[in-house]
Amino acid sequence: MKKQHNIKMALAVLVTAALLASGCGSQSGSKSAGDAKTFTYGTVAYGVSNQNTGTNPHDTYVGWSSIRYGIGETLFRFTNTMELEPWLAKDYEQIDDYTVKINLKDNICFSNGKKVTGEAVKACFEDLLQKHDRAPKDLKIESMTADGQSITIKSKEKVPALLNYLSDPYGCIIDVEAGEHDKIVIGTGPYEATSVSDTEIDLKKNENYWGETKPHMDKIVVKSITDGDTLTMAMQNGELDAVQGLPYSNLELFQNNDKYNVSQADTSRIYQVAFNFKTPALQDLRVRQAISMAIDKENFTKVLLHGQGTPAVGPFPASMTFGDNAVHTVAFDKEKAKGLLKEAGYADTDGDGYVDKDGKNLELRYLTYTSRQELPLLAEAAQADLKDIGIKLDVNATNNYKNFLKSGEYDLYSNAFVTAPTGDPEYYFSTHVLKSSAYNMGFYYNDRIESLEEQLRNTFGADKRSSIAIQMEQQILDDCAYFYASHLRMSFVMKKNVKGFAAHPSDYYEITPELAKD
Amino acid sequence: MRKYVFQRFLQLIPILVGITFLTFGMMQFAADDAVDVMFEQSGGVTEEVKAAKRAELGLDQAFLVQYGHWLQGVVTGDMGRSYISGKLVFDTFMDKMPATVELMLASVGLTLLFAIPLGIYAAVRQNRWPDYIIRFLTFVGNSLPNFFVGLLLIYFLALQAGLFPVMSSADNPLSVVLPAVTLAIAMGAKYTRQIRAVVLEELAKPYVAGARARGVPERWILWRDVLKSSFITIITLLALSVGSLLGGTAIVESIFMWDGVGKMAVDAILMRDYPLIQSYVVWMSFIYVSVNLAADLLYHYFDPRIRYGKGDNA
Repeated sequence: MKKQHNIKMALAVLVTAALLASGCGSQSGSKSAGDAKTFTYGTVAYGVSNQNTGTNPHDTYVGWSSIRYGIGETLFRFTNTMELEPWLAKDYEQIDDYTVKINLKDNICFSNGKKVTGEAVKACFEDLLQKHDRAPKDLKIESMTADGQSITIKSKEKVPALLNYLSDPYGCIIDVEAGEHDKIVIGTGPYEATSVSDTEIDLKKNENYWGETKPHMDKIVVKSITDGDTLTMAMQNGELDAVQGLPYSNLELFQNNDKYNVSQADTSRIYQVAFNFKTPALQDLRVRQAISMAIDKENFTKVLLHGQGTPAVGPFPASMTFGDNAVHTVAFDKEKAKGLLKEAGYADTDGDGYVDKDGKNLELRYLTYTSRQELPLLAEAAQADLKDIGIKLDVNATNNYKNFLKSGEYDLYSNAFVTAPTGDPEYYFSTHVLKSSAYNMGFYYNDRIESLEEQLRNTFGADKRSSIAIQMEQQILDDCAYFYASHLRMSFVMKKNVKGFAAHPSDYYEITPELAKD
Repeated sequence: MRKYVFQRFLQLIPILVGITFLTFGMMQFAADDAVDVMFEQSGGVTEEVKAAKRAELGLDQAFLVQYGHWLQGVVTGDMGRSYISGKLVFDTFMDKMPATVELMLASVGLTLLFAIPLGIYAAVRQNRWPDYIIRFLTFVGNSLPNFFVGLLLIYFLALQAGLFPVMSSADNPLSVVLPAVTLAIAMGAKYTRQIRAVVLEELAKPYVAGARARGVPERWILWRDVLKSSFITIITLLALSVGSLLGGTAIVESIFMWDGVGKMAVDAILMRDYPLIQSYVVWMSFIYVSVNLAADLLYHYFDPRIRYGKGDNA
């Protein structure tokens, strides 16, 4: 009896201890995001796997963190329609096809109080060209000269999109003389980093900020949260003031909810499908058109993406001058698609539900990967829709997709890609539709596209470049080289009291001086 | 004993060479390497740029040469730098280790706190209601995957009850509770069943019957004799758990944003960060050998009949 009593007592003590421990934690819930002068931000976009941990823009993709979190600023920036406007620069002068002179604003200083001069910008770019992997190839700079508040850049080749490239996050202006200490550099933005780790950046107000609007927050904490459910629950629990990268299915919890605001913007990230021109069946334009007509983009974005995407026409969103409003493609029409297959000689002769030709079913291998949550969903949608017109799609959604790309074991390849990271269309064309393009996985080739690209490469001026880009896009769409499913809609969720925090189509600018909490 | 410990560490050498060689070899089968991953987001990078980067990192050399360089570095105390972050691999490990050790200690402590009394109680009350309830709960605890338990705990204890924070934070010591409980539930369930089984086995042995016949109090038999004999099983379980927990728990670390070595290892694998992966493999081999050695030494303490070396443990 006594023995049993002792064991019961021991259990009771343990349970009580556990409950007491729980009780001690009762005030812990929303401490971190409760302070009116501290902004706590959770994001899936910061972390080692994004190669952006740190603040030095001259290191791989770290510039994205520098510009997103208000540490660095570039000479020019993108508007909401992805057009360039001066930022640290006052104006510029295109001296000739190879030379541009950029004049800086007079009142700009780094967060350490040092004035930003032409010489400081030159030193910054020299460091960039020396350390960065992509910048030298993009900018093709031959020489730079600084004179007071201006810098003159001479290129080795014509670089019509030079100012766009300088607006890439790697173009953030930093004080290279001050150096880098514990992954912290000195920028010109409204906030300066106080500590940086692989999972968190802590920032404080830049007391020397040059802009008219002075930063409102005393402290900002940027937390990397890789699990979508954790991100959601931390936001619901009040531990965060704002989040980026919620799973689509969880976003609905915050929409039409009095406690939260949601800011959204269409980005140039496209979900696309490349047709493999080495596949005999896909060499027939009518088959490619039939496939493009049969996949219901509206339904895909509305149902599977929970409305968090925009049905695409071409590779660029409608917010850009050369975007979806400027081009056209085949409309969704399954009956017409069936007719096209019939014209191409395909019919269901054996009654198995799939069309065939010369005794062989029209069966295609669809390759994609799973690290982007939208891609397997698109594969499912395509599989179901194409079955309706008699095409059998064998989906291979694997993160080992590179092996299959190398061995050529695919007829359709679906991926996600940011088509205009610097607001200029040439990047997409040069990487996707030329014979020499690194990502031309469908082996598409068209003489006209090659010559238009040559023209684009040598054309200055946004309007002229836009006009050529539209011609190229239309040609690609007419050739049905790619099927463009949807543009990603980026969403920020924030507490109702957060102001001045908005999604931008470039995906660059997040924390700005306007950010405030009531 | 010193000789025995020394021999055990000598045995570590072929194990380490074998495991690291195999890991290094397996990484060569991947379709892409660290350079491909580095430039994945940048479609404009040509093969020449990639080739230059490969040359810089030594990835253009033959497999055996690469492995030889790495091994040479490790022997001289240089584990290299991460391809991705550029930081020293050793420093990266040391940054993550305190969090991993903290979580290991908390979860193992919690596990023992619940599993030992519950296991003994279930054995003592064999085939009665308390036993049935404990067995049912341990069955449930064993069946639930960690990520699910973690999400349930967050939902009920953080979101609904507001007792704990969702995310870990250095400023809030309570943030260790939910990840530790998540790990302890699965471990505790397993431990409870094992302890129950071993206690039942001990209780059926003649020495217990003899002690009872001599009038030794039941409590004395249970807590001193039976529990001490059961420690061999508990130590074996602990050795495995501590080893695996020191290697990190990637899923639990991701869910609770616990910045430990498990998440670091998964990131390193995704990024094909060979120096970091290799060092992780070395670390895992080392802790398993060390923890098992510690367990062997403890066996002797709890059961002096067990001798060191040559398997003469009778």
